[in-house]
Amino acid sequence: MSLKPRRILFDEVWGCLKTTVEKVITLRAVKKDKWNDSFNDVYSICVAYPEPLADRLYTETKLFLENHVKSQLDDFGVYMMEVNDTDNSQNQLLHKYYSAWKNYSEGLGFLNSLYSYLNQQHIKKQKVSEAEILYGNGGHLSVAQEQMEIGELGLDIWRIFMIQNLGDILVKQILQGIERDRVESNLSSKDIETLNGVIHSFVMVQDYKKKGNLKLYENMFEGKMLEASGEYFKSQASKLLQTCSVSQYMQEVIRILDEENIRAHKFMHISSIQKLKKECEDRMITDHKYFLYSECKDMVSNDKRDDLKNLYTLLKPIVDGLKELIQFLLEQIKNEGTESVMNLKGENIHIQFVENMLQVHQKYENLISETFKNDPLFLSALDKACASVINSKLCDGKTACRSAELVAKYHDSLLKKSKSTESEIETKLTKSITIFKYIEDKDVYQKFYSRMLAKRLIHDQSVNMELEEVMINKLKQACGYEFTNKLHRMYTDVGISMDLNNKFNQHLKNQNNELHINLSIKILQAGAWPLGPQTAIPFAVPQEFEKPIRDFETFYNLKFSGRKLSWLHHLCHGELKVSLAKKSYLITMQTYQMAMLLLFENCDTLSCKDIKDVLQLNNNENFQKHLQSLIDSKLLTVDTEKIEESSIVSFNLDFSNKRTKFKITASLQKESPQQEVEQTHTQVDEDRKLYLQAAIVRIMKSRKVLKHNALIQEILSQSKVSFAPSIPMIKKCIESLIDKQYIERTANSSDEYSYVA
Amino acid sequence: MSEDNDKTSYDSDSSKPDKMFTLKKWNSVAMWSWDVECEICAICRVQVMDACLRCQAESKKDIQSKDGACVVVWGECNHSFHHCCMSLWVKQNNRCPLCQQEWSIQRLSS
Repeated sequence: MSLKPRRILFDEVWGCLKTTVEKVITLRAVKKDKWNDSFNDVYSICVAYPEPLADRLYTETKLFLENHVKSQLDDFGVYMMEVNDTDNSQNQLLHKYYSAWKNYSEGLGFLNSLYSYLNQQHIKKQKVSEAEILYGNGGHLSVAQEQMEIGELGLDIWRIFMIQNLGDILVKQILQGIERDRVESNLSSKDIETLNGVIHSFVMVQDYKKKGNLKLYENMFEGKMLEASGEYFKSQASKLLQTCSVSQYMQEVIRILDEENIRAHKFMHISSIQKLKKECEDRMITDHKYFLYSECKDMVSNDKRDDLKNLYTLLKPIVDGLKELIQFLLEQIKNEGTESVMNLKGENIHIQFVENMLQVHQKYENLISETFKNDPLFLSALDKACASVINSKLCDGKTACRSAELVAKYHDSLLKKSKSTESEIETKLTKSITIFKYIEDKDVYQKFYSRMLAKRLIHDQSVNMELEEVMINKLKQACGYEFTNKLHRMYTDVGISMDLNNKFNQHLKNQNNELHINLSIKILQAGAWPLGPQTAIPFAVPQEFEKPIRDFETFYNLKFSGRKLSWLHHLCHGELKVSLAKKSYLITMQTYQMAMLLLFENCDTLSCKDIKDVLQLNNNENFQKHLQSLIDSKLLTVDTEKIEESSIVSFNLDFSNKRTKFKITASLQKESPQQEVEQTHTQVDEDRKLYLQAAIVRIMKSRKVLKHNALIQEILSQSKVSFAPSIPMIKKCIESLIDKQYIERTANSSDEYSYVA
Repeated sequence: MSEDNDKTSYDSDSSKPDKMFTLKKWNSVAMWSWDVECEICAICRVQVMDACLRCQAESKKDIQSKDGACVVVWGECNHSFHHCCMSLWVKQNNRCPLCQQEWSIQRLSS
C-alpha cells in the first residue's frame, strides 16, 4: 500500500467508502480492516492523480449526509401529522428525535475522524485563522465557510433539515415537558434525559462556531422558554398571593426559586440558569415587592428573624430591593436608641446612657450578622442610626449634646477604683469604644476625659496604671496620635514621678538625710495637664514643708538642668498626726489645712488676720473655705458666726472622734459640676475657634482666592476628625480673620475671599 | 534650723509626743517647666514646653514621641529657644534673634 498519489476511479472508491460511511453514521458494525481501508480511500481520493478529487469527495459526502438526514426526517412525518396532545405522542416525538440525534451525532463523530485527512489537509487550508474571525474579516468569511470539516458539515446539515423543520414542534413539546415537571414533577429519568438531550442538541449543533454558538439555542428555545416560565411564575404568584401571608409567600417563593435552580441545572444549558432565575425573581419578587414591604416594619419591630432572613434572601438580588428594608431598619434603630437614652434620670446617667446604647447597638449588630449576613449596606445603616441618636441635640432637651461628656464620665467611672475585676473593666472599655466612635464632638470628649484623667492620676484614684494605658491606646487607635498626645504625656509623668521618688529616697539615704515623713511627689510637665490658670496661688509654705521641698529641688536640679518647679499646693494633701491628751488622730487633709493647724502648735488662739498674714493666703475665698472645713470638723472653733478678719480662732483641745483615722474633705469642689461642664464647653469652643482660624489661614494660603462655599466645604472636611463645626462659627472666624487682615473680600465679588500675604 | 526640725520630729516619733502636730505623710504635686524668660520660642512661635513645629510634624509619624528629644537651649544672653530651631538659625546668622548678640550656648536642657 503506497502513499504515492495514483490515478483512481472516483466512483469505484467512493462506492466502497460510501458503504462504510453509511454503516458508521448509523452506528452499525464495521470490520476493522474495512475501517482501516476506508482511511486509505479518503487519502487516495484526496491525493488522486492527476488532480486531487477532494472537492468531489466533499460534495458527495455532503449529498450523502443530506439524504441521510432527509430520510430520517421523513420518519418523523407520522408524528408531525398526528400532533395531538396526548402525553404519549409527545414523549414519542421527543424520544425519537433524541435517539436519532444521539445516534447521528455519535456516528458523525466517528465519521469526522474517518475524514480527518480531508479535514486536516484540504479544509484546514481554506479555513480562516482565528485571528481573522476575531477581527471580523467579513467578506473572506463567507467564502471560507463554503467548505467545513465533515463533522461540522454534518451538524449543519442536521440543523438545516432537522431542526428547521422540527424545531417549533420540539420546542413546544419541551415546554410542555418542563411544565409537567413543574406541576407534577413525576418525569421519569428517561424523560429527563431526553429533555436535556434535545435541549442541548440545539447548542451542540452549533457548538463548533467560534462566534454566536448559542444563537440558535437562544432564538429558538431560550426566549420561548423564558416567556413560558414567566407566565407560569406570574400565575403561581397570583395564586399564592390569594392564600398566603407574607411569611408563607416568602417561604413558597424561596422553595420555587430552589426548584427552578435545580430544574435549570437538570435541563438547560448553563447560560440559561441565571436568566431563568432572573425571570423568576422578576415575576415573583419585583412585581410584588410592595406586598413584601408591607410587613417589613412588623418583622423588624417584632424581631421575626426567620422572616427577615427570607426577606433578605429574596430582596438581595433585586435592584434597589433592599433600600426600603434598610430604611425601615434605620428608623427602627433610631427610635429604639432614642427611646433608650431619652429621659434618663438619677446619679448614673452616664452608665445608663452608654450601656443602653450599647445594648441597642449590640442587638441590631447581632440581627444584622444573623439575618443579613453582615451586609455592608445594613451595617452602614446601623452606623448612621447610632450616630444620629448619639449626636442628637435632643438627648436631654434644649442644651447641647451631652454624649461626649457622658461617655467620658462612663470611662472615668470604670477606671476609678471599684470592685470590678480588671478583665471586666477592660471588656467594658473595649465595648464602649463602639459608642465613642460615633461621637462627633470628640474634642469635647477629650477635654472631659483629660480632666478626669488628671484627677484620677493626681489623687491616686486609678484602678491601675496598666488599664489607664490600655485605655489611652484604645483612644489612640480610634483617633490617632495627636488626640492622645497629652493624655499619654500625663500618663508617663506619673511613671517618671514614681521613679523619681525612688531615686530621691535613695539619694536621701546615701546622704544620711532623714525626712521623717512619707513623701511622695508628683512632677507634672507644664502644658500637658488640664489644670487651668490657677497654678500660682501665693502661699507661705510652713517650715515643716520647707526642708523636703528644698531637698527635692536640689535633687531635681542635679538630675535635670534648665527646669524650674512650681508647687501646686492646692493639689497636695497629707496626713497629720494630732496628739491630744486622750488619743492621737491621724487626719488626712490638704496642705492649706495642715498649714493652718500647724500654726496652733505654739499657741491656742489666733485671729483670722494673723493666720492669713502668716500664711500669706491672700485669696479670701480660698482661705475661708479651708478654715471653714476645719471648723466644721470641730478641730477649730471660732467666736463669731461668720468668719471675719477679727474673728478669733482657737484650737479645740477637747476634740474627740470615734475614729482615730479620718479625712477632712474640704469643700474641695470649688466649682459645681454644672459650672465645670459649662467651663469645659467654653474652653472647647475657644479651641475650636483657634483650630478653625488656623485651618482657614492654611487653606487660604495655599489657594490664594476661594469662594465662600468652597472654603466652607474645605473646612468641614478638615475638621471632621475631631468635631463638626457649626456654620455660624465658621463665619465668625472668617470675619475675625478679615478684621485681623489675614484675608480680605475680593473687590469684584461679594462671596469670594483672597489671602493677604 | 533644719537640724532643729529634724530633731523635734525625731523625738515625736519616739512615742513621747511633746509636739501636738506631726507631719506623717505628704503627697505633693509640682509642675515643671523650662526656666526661661519667655515661654514661646521666638523662632517657631510654639511654646518651649511643647516640641517645636518641625518635631511635632515628625513625631506624628513616630508611634512614641521621644520625650526630651526636642530640648531647649540657652544662650549666653539668657535667651532660650528650641535647640532644633536654633541650630537651623545659626547656620544663617550666628546671632541671637532677639538681641543680636553673638550666639554662644550657655546650657542645654535635660
